[in-house]
Amino acid sequence: MITIQNLHFSYRKRPVFRGLSLQLQAGHIYGLLGKNGTGKSTLLRNIAGLLYPDQGRIEVLGFIPGKRQPAFLQEIFLVPEEFYLPDIPVQQLVDLQGPFYPRFNHSQFERYIREFDIPADSTLQNMSYGQKKKVLISFGLATNCSLLLMDEPTNGLDIMSKSQFRKVIAGELNEQKCIVISTHQVKDLENLIDRVTIIDEGRILFDQTVDAISRRLSFRISFDNEEVKQSLYSESSLRGHAIVAPNANEEESKLDLELLYKAIVMNGHSIQSVFTAK
Amino acid sequence: MNQTFDFNRWRLLIAKHGYEQGKKYLLSLVAIAALLLIWFVFVLFANPYEPLPDGAQFGTYYVGLFLVGCIYASLLFSDLASRPRGIDYLSLPASHLEKLLCALFYGVLIFFLAYTIVFYIVELPMIRVARAIAYAHWLKTAHPKEIFNAGETINVFVMPRRPAGAPNAFFYILLSYFAVQAAFILGSVYFPKFSFIKTVVTLLLIGLVYVFLVDTVVGWIMPEGRYYHAFTAYNFHGPNGYEDGKVVTLPEWFHDLLSIIVRYAFAPIFWITTYFRLKEKEI
Repeated sequence: MITIQNLHFSYRKRPVFRGLSLQLQAGHIYGLLGKNGTGKSTLLRNIAGLLYPDQGRIEVLGFIPGKRQPAFLQEIFLVPEEFYLPDIPVQQLVDLQGPFYPRFNHSQFERYIREFDIPADSTLQNMSYGQKKKVLISFGLATNCSLLLMDEPTNGLDIMSKSQFRKVIAGELNEQKCIVISTHQVKDLENLIDRVTIIDEGRILFDQTVDAISRRLSFRISFDNEEVKQSLYSESSLRGHAIVAPNANEEESKLDLELLYKAIVMNGHSIQSVFTAK
Repeated sequence: MNQTFDFNRWRLLIAKHGYEQGKKYLLSLVAIAALLLIWFVFVLFANPYEPLPDGAQFGTYYVGLFLVGCIYASLLFSDLASRPRGIDYLSLPASHLEKLLCALFYGVLIFFLAYTIVFYIVELPMIRVARAIAYAHWLKTAHPKEIFNAGETINVFVMPRRPAGAPNAFFYILLSYFAVQAAFILGSVYFPKFSFIKTVVTLLLIGLVYVFLVDTVVGWIMPEGRYYHAFTAYNFHGPNGYEDGKVVTLPEWFHDLLSIIVRYAFAPIFWITTYFRLKEKEI
């Protein structure tokens, strides 16, 4: 669905990407993780055709995003971190903007709005930031676009809304759809994404499916000092040491995204070697 | 589906823009009407002998048209100044041409019509007031044989008291308005922030460079003499000045072409440039 080859991009003299290559397929929810300022939003805007690569090639659903053809724009929806919604009633937003998307579904939108506890007859002007964001997410999902890009979608959402968000997104994935969620709040994506892509200093630091991670790595609490020493990454907690270790015995362990992220940032080489080893 | 222009998509865009901006536009028109009213009242009482003469009406219409039209034009693409609004604007599934034509529909056509209507809505009653004031003054001061003659509603598109066969200068003023406004529309895409001021400065700089080029650079290249008949004829100095000099004239077709370009081409050129600039806009 998305092919990025040798992407080079810079803001004036500050390079962001130097030869980034990535492939994203339909039927998956990708978690794009990384520190602030590593280029997650820039990558999403390149994919959405809002920024143009200095070098390299991006192809999305067979389109060159930078051309911003209507047929391409109808197939993608970007939920930016900082977004704009006009000060009009929600129903008017749907009536005016929905027809631009051929597969927009009104009843789907109303269902999401209900799930997010947004009063359907309210005006966007009177809504909080979090409520507006939920309207935008609902609208994006109701467009039934093939590609949904979300930049820090859980920012500004309260705890209940975050879990509603996970539930709604998980229920919407199908074989034709690809969802890319960029965030630095890795905990919010647990149990949601099925592929983890970590960007750092303009390159892909790590890119694996959740299945592969669960097969190869074990996330657990350990009280054994020797085990802690030999782990790929460890950090002390009140309960003992949280460790990331090779999953030699193919034990079942729950993926701890935050721990994985820290492990890759601190000890990426060793983590990678676990995946490259046969 | 046409990727360049689709009437249905354009219609949706027009409806969306109209609904979202309608209230703001109505308030702006009320503000313009209020300003015109205040100005007309000032002019009315400034000269009770001849309140609201033709010149004041024409001047008000065209100064207002240029000023408000260019300010509005410089705000047409102001959404691109803010990242959230710019993302919303550029991500909307419509082509760049449809987005540009929507902006031109409101910024050029609707604004021009709305401004002209508002002008007359204010001007018509003000002319009645002006006539009443002038009549009262005439009754008091005029000689018994003097005929009452006071301001009348004007047609802002037709130059009054024009000699037969003379061109309607107002038509060319209107053309120049659309050209200047088009430059401000282009400026609103080039300079998302402080667009109006930056466009004014840019136009002034271009004007200065133009004068410098024509007057100084070309002056060095050309032999001593002067232009006349715009730039299509040049009168060279002879040994005794212009009297025994020679006139070199460019072909008539070139003069005609130049006239067409100067009169009609600037606005479309700026609109087309705006289209390409919009296409390459990044957020």
